[in-house]
Amino acid sequence: MSATAHPRVESWRRGFYRFRQSWVSVLGLLIVLVLLVLAIGGAHLTPFPQHIQGVVDTSSRLQPPSMSYWFGTNELGQDVFSLVVAGTRISLLAGMAVVIVGAAFGVFVGALAGFFGGWVDEVLMRIADLKLTIPGLILAMAVAAALGPGIVNMIFAIALSWWPGYARLVRGEVMAKREETFVLASRAMGAGTGRLLWRHILPNIVSPIIVKMSLDMGFAILTVASLGFIGIGVKPPTPEWGSLLSVARVNMPDYWWTAIFPGLAIFLAVFGFNLLGDGLRDLLDPKARR
Amino acid sequence: MLTTTRRGVMAGGAALLAGMAGMRPAEAQARRILVITSNQDIPNFDPHLASGYSTAMAMRNVYDSLVRVEGNPPKPVPHLAQSWTMSEDGREYTFKLDPAAKFHDGSPVDAAAVKYSIERLLRLNRGNAWMVAGIVDPAGTEVVDAQTVRVKLLTPFVPFLSVLPWVWIVNPKQVEANKGSDDGQTWLRTNIAGSGAFNITRAEAGNLYQFERVADGWRKGGGNLTGAIWKITRETATQRLMVQRGEAQIAVDLTSEDMEALKGRPGVNLILEPEYRTFQIKMNSKHGPLADKNLRKAIACAFNYQGMLDVSGYAELMKGPLPESIDGFDKELPIYRTDLEKAKEFLAKSRSPNGGIKLTLAHVSGLEQQRRWALVLLDSLRALNIELDIKPMIWPDMVAACRSPETVPDFFMVYQTANYGDADNLAYAGFHSSRNGNWQNPVYANPEVDAVLDQARAEADPEKRRELYKKFQRIVMDDSPDIFGVLEMRKLAMRNNVKGFAFTPVASNAIELFPLSLG
Amino acid sequence: MLGYILRRILLLVPVLLGLSLLVFAIARLLPGDPVALAAGPNATAADVASVAREFGLDQPLPLQYWNYLTGILHGDFGVSIFTRRPVAEDLAAFLPATLELVLAAMFLAIGFGIPLGLMAAVFRNRWPDFLSRTVSLGAISMPRFFLGLVFQLFFAMWLGWLPLSGRFPLIEEPPPTVTGLLTVDAVLSGQFHALGIALSHLALPAIAMALSPLATIMRMMRASTIEVLQQDYVLTERALGLSQRLILFKYVLKNAISATLTVIGLYFGWLLGGTVLVETVFDWPGIGLYATQAVLTQDFMPIIGVTLCIGAIFVTVNLVVDMLYGLLNPKVRYQ
Repeated sequence: MSATAHPRVESWRRGFYRFRQSWVSVLGLLIVLVLLVLAIGGAHLTPFPQHIQGVVDTSSRLQPPSMSYWFGTNELGQDVFSLVVAGTRISLLAGMAVVIVGAAFGVFVGALAGFFGGWVDEVLMRIADLKLTIPGLILAMAVAAALGPGIVNMIFAIALSWWPGYARLVRGEVMAKREETFVLASRAMGAGTGRLLWRHILPNIVSPIIVKMSLDMGFAILTVASLGFIGIGVKPPTPEWGSLLSVARVNMPDYWWTAIFPGLAIFLAVFGFNLLGDGLRDLLDPKARR
Repeated sequence: MLTTTRRGVMAGGAALLAGMAGMRPAEAQARRILVITSNQDIPNFDPHLASGYSTAMAMRNVYDSLVRVEGNPPKPVPHLAQSWTMSEDGREYTFKLDPAAKFHDGSPVDAAAVKYSIERLLRLNRGNAWMVAGIVDPAGTEVVDAQTVRVKLLTPFVPFLSVLPWVWIVNPKQVEANKGSDDGQTWLRTNIAGSGAFNITRAEAGNLYQFERVADGWRKGGGNLTGAIWKITRETATQRLMVQRGEAQIAVDLTSEDMEALKGRPGVNLILEPEYRTFQIKMNSKHGPLADKNLRKAIACAFNYQGMLDVSGYAELMKGPLPESIDGFDKELPIYRTDLEKAKEFLAKSRSPNGGIKLTLAHVSGLEQQRRWALVLLDSLRALNIELDIKPMIWPDMVAACRSPETVPDFFMVYQTANYGDADNLAYAGFHSSRNGNWQNPVYANPEVDAVLDQARAEADPEKRRELYKKFQRIVMDDSPDIFGVLEMRKLAMRNNVKGFAFTPVASNAIELFPLSLG
Repeated sequence: MLGYILRRILLLVPVLLGLSLLVFAIARLLPGDPVALAAGPNATAADVASVAREFGLDQPLPLQYWNYLTGILHGDFGVSIFTRRPVAEDLAAFLPATLELVLAAMFLAIGFGIPLGLMAAVFRNRWPDFLSRTVSLGAISMPRFFLGLVFQLFFAMWLGWLPLSGRFPLIEEPPPTVTGLLTVDAVLSGQFHALGIALSHLALPAIAMALSPLATIMRMMRASTIEVLQQDYVLTERALGLSQRLILFKYVLKNAISATLTVIGLYFGWLLGGTVLVETVFDWPGIGLYATQAVLTQDFMPIIGVTLCIGAIFVTVNLVVDMLYGLLNPKVRYQ
């Protein structure tokens, strides 16, 4: 049985080949894998896990990077390396939650709009358009500030401005698929609307959604860090990268290590997901390839 | 403005590379402008509404008061009032005004203006009004003649002269002309009706406020400044660099790390002085788990005082509710220091003998020192098996939370800056139950303390007064309503071309411009 | 064409209306007690009530919205409950600084993005191409606030070449205000010294902002140029002996314009919203910093004002971009 027997397997195989060919995508995958390991391992991989819980060691404050403190210590004598590593889990989880919540809501809205068309479509899409004209960051800032600090509030605030992109994407796809033969056929056979959407249309639009989610992941992490940086992110002592950086601003330039390493971590995470997202787009959505 | 053009043609190209921002054209020397960098905005120019040190800075330069505060230790000295007398019973003060004193519009600062201002302050009952509310008889101010004014007190109040530097005299003519329906509040919010040596000529909210020396002000002498700028710079590190690079002459909100970094820099003078600015972590003694005295004591004993001091830099630990240098401080007062054994004893007597509870703490978001101390407390409470939920809040929200005991968080961090160098200030504002619902003392109430404080306010004999304050400190210590934290040193950085600055340990970050010169 | 433009402009009205309603709803339905906040620390219940009356906050929400809307028509964006200053005045004071920053960033992005993209296309699959592609992905991934901090660390704190923050030195006299953009005003009044100073302050924040759109323009230029170079007619013309430089110039120009337009449309709103971060880092007195302050004090009138203002600018810029597209390429016009 040859691989060409199944067109989907073939296209995956080709995509995977392309993915491997592009060293940047592989680099992205590597970075993301490292991040995942750090996120799962969390405190167990750090030399000073107690510092992540908020233990302070005021006798060794603001030490420069050394063999015992790879990234130095901060103003409370906590190991910056441990805090940065622990921040991986928070940033990744928050980014993922934003993307998933945003995507789920967007898919729901988009599917409704695309499937029903007419005034439902008109109303939902106008709201989505409006949302797109408001700078997401300012909206998220306002909402997060009003709800108070906390990771759940922050995720909610960001996801609030994240859904319209998905809604548009799904709406377009649903509209296109709606008229296709297999959908018309199952409708003729008496399938209900919900069932139709769930069983027949959504599975067909999963790849573009996944591509968009992976591309969005980097920016979601960036937005989470931005809110943390402005000072409306997580509660202390949670070591979130953006707030670590924000707090460390006052230590510059003499104690630069307290700021540079959290900043580099944000950059690396966003970079990794962007590279991977680019690669995944080639893999799953060859049409969009330029 | 035009004269810069010629120079500009030559310098313009090089400016981008050389970063000429630090250099000044010769013209600026003739216009001697002092730049002060601070992180606090001046939201309101109404002298009878405003509180906060940035506003105090603006007010003490554009308005005048009957007396000023000067020296170290601070003393009231003549200002608008050339001299004064106090009646035997301490309930009547008569002030002789300086006949030269005039407002910016040329009209004299007379007894009627003083009467008008005191009445307006008490009527609005905001801002600094708490300092005199219940003390000055609202209907008792009397114009004797144009230069003489008599103020009646409802009760004898020993530190009366010490609060007067914060009672500003407005020009009744201007306020009446713009009175509107709100006693001139709208107009005074953005306009000045004062007699101070300076006026505000440019106001960009959130960015800068420019002061200019009034052309023929009534006060003679002083420094050579032609103007000053209050520049709002949120990051203390930026403030420090501005002074280091000469872009600003004075920075007022520096951290200890900033002071370390500035040590030995050429051209920079550092001022590190003890000041009456206390920091404490107030506990909600009325509502929630901390209503339990034993739990409060357990926490006071578990707290890591050394850790707090380590992250504070230039500071000393408080030894009770009053600073050590204030008259009336009790040297034999038993205090709490980290002692886990004792903490566990107290905990065992409390309603949650094994901990296992979660408490909340509120601090002002963005205040780095408070954040650090909050984390020290979080770490300390772990020893008692108590969790801490740290909530950074904006200041207005914290103030709002103080309104009722139910909304006051378990721990509440506050700085208390003394406006006058008397034990009454910190004691009354922080522990008298009449201040309940207010951020200075949200919940703590003990009738015994109230009685002692009221008595001390009116007690003229210094020895008896000291005894009363000793009693106050003992009672408060036993109630343990606060974790008494640190007394931070005042940290100012100044370019060495600033002359004429004399440190006074009350509101010294509200820089007084009049005596200053740029050399 | 005229009819199309008119229709598009008319369509702006419901969009802006909807925008104002949405922002107003979000700002007002959030928790928090703005009235108690404005009344101040020692306020009594009566004070609070009087403040509520002063700001019309005791009225039902729909009426409050109606009042707000009619106010906007008269250029009144309400009053900040915290500083009690009219929001319209504040916006007018802070917007020029933000516009200057955004325009400078756009200018840099286009000025460097197009040639770099061309270069990457011409040297396709050789080292300049790989280098610029990787760097551009890196640039897109770089948080602006972190980049700003690193710039400050190197160029202002360690090397001391450029000013750390702010827009213009405090004690210097800024050029007379015409446009509110200091660089433009300095040129207009012939004050080249002031221009130098203004540029030295603008440099770091503008570069920090420009990097991401620059990378996007570069990638678009690269892709579209490669497409052009592979097209049949180009191959034919090259076979006919036309020099590559001439071909590039002839076909690439149109691509460059269209790429630029797309990026302006895409990025203008993004940059306006994103100034929040860069302005915070560089203490740049624009509406981003203003919005941050307002958010931190939950002062909703300025929040609504800034959001509406940015939304309106974004919508207008996109309208203009769309119309220019229409001019450039009549096929897209009626989509």
